[in-house]
Amino acid sequence: MSCDQKNIHTHVLEKKPYNAQSKSSVTLTINAKTITAPANLSVIQALWHAGYPRVKGVGCLDGVCGSCRVMVRRADKSELKMELGCQLLVEEGMDVFFSVFETPSGHSYKLSEIDTSWDVQAEFHRIFPEAEKCRHCNGCNKACPKDIDVEGGIDLAVKGRFREAGEKFVECVMCNLCMTGCPEYIDPNHVGLFARRVTGYFHTRPSNLINQLEAIRTGELSVITQTVDTQSDKKVEGQS
Amino acid sequence: MSGKKVMSGKKAMSGSISYQQALDAYLNKTDFAATDLNIDETTLLDKFHPDHRQETITTLQVGPNKGDRCHKQVAKVLQADSRIDAADLAGARIKETDILVIGGGGAGCAAALMAAESGAKVILATKLRLGDSNTVMAEGGIQASIEKGDTPQSHYNDTYKAGHEKGVKDLIKQLVMDGPETIRWLIQQGMQFDLNEFGDLLTRKAGGTSANRVVYFRDYTGLEMMRVLREAVGNSSVDVWDYSPAVELLCNESGHCAGAILSSLQDCSYVQIKARTVIIATGGIGRVHLNQFPTSNHFGATGDGLVLAYRLGARLRDLDSFQYHPTGVAYPQHLSGTLITEGVRSAGAYMINALGERFVDELKPRDIVAAAIIRECKEGRGVVGNSSDGNDGMQGVWLDTPGLEARNPGLLQKRFPKLVQLGLKSDIDITKIPMLVYPTLHYQNGGVVIDENGLSDIPGLYCVGEVSGGIHGRNRLMGNALLDIICFGRRAGLHAFKNRQTRGHKKISIDHISNLRRELMQNEMPMENKSPLLFPEYARYDTIINCEKRGSSSHCGGCDI
Repeated sequence: MSCDQKNIHTHVLEKKPYNAQSKSSVTLTINAKTITAPANLSVIQALWHAGYPRVKGVGCLDGVCGSCRVMVRRADKSELKMELGCQLLVEEGMDVFFSVFETPSGHSYKLSEIDTSWDVQAEFHRIFPEAEKCRHCNGCNKACPKDIDVEGGIDLAVKGRFREAGEKFVECVMCNLCMTGCPEYIDPNHVGLFARRVTGYFHTRPSNLINQLEAIRTGELSVITQTVDTQSDKKVEGQS
Repeated sequence: MSGKKVMSGKKAMSGSISYQQALDAYLNKTDFAATDLNIDETTLLDKFHPDHRQETITTLQVGPNKGDRCHKQVAKVLQADSRIDAADLAGARIKETDILVIGGGGAGCAAALMAAESGAKVILATKLRLGDSNTVMAEGGIQASIEKGDTPQSHYNDTYKAGHEKGVKDLIKQLVMDGPETIRWLIQQGMQFDLNEFGDLLTRKAGGTSANRVVYFRDYTGLEMMRVLREAVGNSSVDVWDYSPAVELLCNESGHCAGAILSSLQDCSYVQIKARTVIIATGGIGRVHLNQFPTSNHFGATGDGLVLAYRLGARLRDLDSFQYHPTGVAYPQHLSGTLITEGVRSAGAYMINALGERFVDELKPRDIVAAAIIRECKEGRGVVGNSSDGNDGMQGVWLDTPGLEARNPGLLQKRFPKLVQLGLKSDIDITKIPMLVYPTLHYQNGGVVIDENGLSDIPGLYCVGEVSGGIHGRNRLMGNALLDIICFGRRAGLHAFKNRQTRGHKKISIDHISNLRRELMQNEMPMENKSPLLFPEYARYDTIINCEKRGSSSHCGGCDI
């Protein structure tokens, strides 16, 4: 957990911890509609609670699909923040706008067209020529609802340090908000995913998996569907 | 253990134990007693598992499964009227393709990728956006027998046994034999897994498995899988149609599936997609909130594919069997139903009731563990909310993450970053305070009857992933869903193109809807219910679809505010 991530949550943690939330309701605006809703709802739930239809821009409701991007300004702050609507609790005086989902990346590539791992760095700069032009404006970092060090990840990818770059993007939900925040059209999240994918594609070669694949290929391992009951019982007992 | 003496014999207080009382009791303990963990599983399931509540079960009156047991809420969508008439097709745009994949989760992407790679022209239509699915939320991992000493046979045995011996043997055999190859294919798409210092795949146990067999990426396995597959599809020849739910299938003169009708969420217009083969990968039905349970499912999980396939005459199975994942979030309310991965229990976390006692072997199959939690709550040993603290109706038991952290310092952050984040969202530092959990509606065990290639009873119609049935019997093991969607998704994608109808369809229609209507009327079923549902009622989609601008040429933007 980075310090940045902790700071993000101070507004939540300032409330008395572990105490049950009050039943009181709050008033806020969502897409310019004034809405009153119980304080323990997310902004999406609040919209539904108030009787407004909303289906687009709603996805997993679990904070990992990136669909429900919202812009939010809190009552006592001038700062505009990007958040995920399913994870954002309503607050008094909050102003929320759903942000239309960005069109897909303009960068196209196929892993199978990169011949060897020696070529990855050259191919990266061919596929993402804008990446090295990063002007360190911090736009991507500010846009990220997951508080990822996007810019640091781009720097690492430009230097060819793809494994490290990819690690920065572990929590990326591909909401594409960093794309909207980038004046150089880098498509930073797609850079991050490229870094992750080449690492898997070229460098994951687990011997335990390969041995088992070989044993299946040679017919050494197969499945008999008849004698299941007795075998299964023995196995489970043997383990416990 | 020199901790405080544990009050293991203590009886439940009359009434209930509040969140704060129970938390104080929990925090004052350093050791947790186990009550007798050997329980009669059959009796436990009969008494407490939601599937066994007879008042929620009905008999189907209409369609290929007429006379079969079915959950009432599922029966309601299966025995409902179509959303469309033949007249709606008059002005609909027509588009042709080789293969139409309906659904943009893991199964749909795997099928589309394989079909496109083999040379087919593929359209992938999805209700929301590509990747909006249950796949992206999967946490625990994916099963494949790869550890030394583990075998596909053991995987088969565990799966068959956990499904209460109701699974289809040939489907399970296919699933387990494809396990290692499925992992290889995912790595070839660029997916990462957690590895040890030598680069071998790390594995963990699941409830009900006899070996360490679940491979994973932190507790973000599904997210990692989905973002990689989405990127692979986006960089392929697959034509992706977002915001395009299917509302009906098309059939040809011989009853073969011949495409589908999509309804655009952008402007509410209809499109007819004529296809040689259709692959349905629409997932399950959790957002119908069976038995009023919260759900871990994504927003679009409304059983659409079940309805479409059933109307065309595909047989379904096990429509009275669902999985309630033991550890859904019970508090706070806005995250209610959110999943906490079984991986936490695999790593050794206990579950503790309001009296500070363990009450079940945490690594029993999910149906047993879920039933045990419900038992604790029903018998007064659960933690409950009340109206005075604004948590009316809340109930659950503790997931002892602080104990796990104490035994394995640093483990939570390293292996379960998503759970740590979830805690933060809930004002809870899970290394110190336990989360309150209660079973959440998680998975549709049954579904469309398929063969080893995902083909249904209807020629030209494949069904893969959660919409299909038979693989998991009546209870699924952790990690077998991610394996199922990729294994059968790939098989269907390959098989669908190889075995496509080379002759074009002569006549394409929705004549099967007339038969449905006749049957519904003959059985005096209410005609005002329409399906597929597409969205849960509370999202008020039907106020959008009934809006006056519908069908006009002016772009109405789908009317979401």
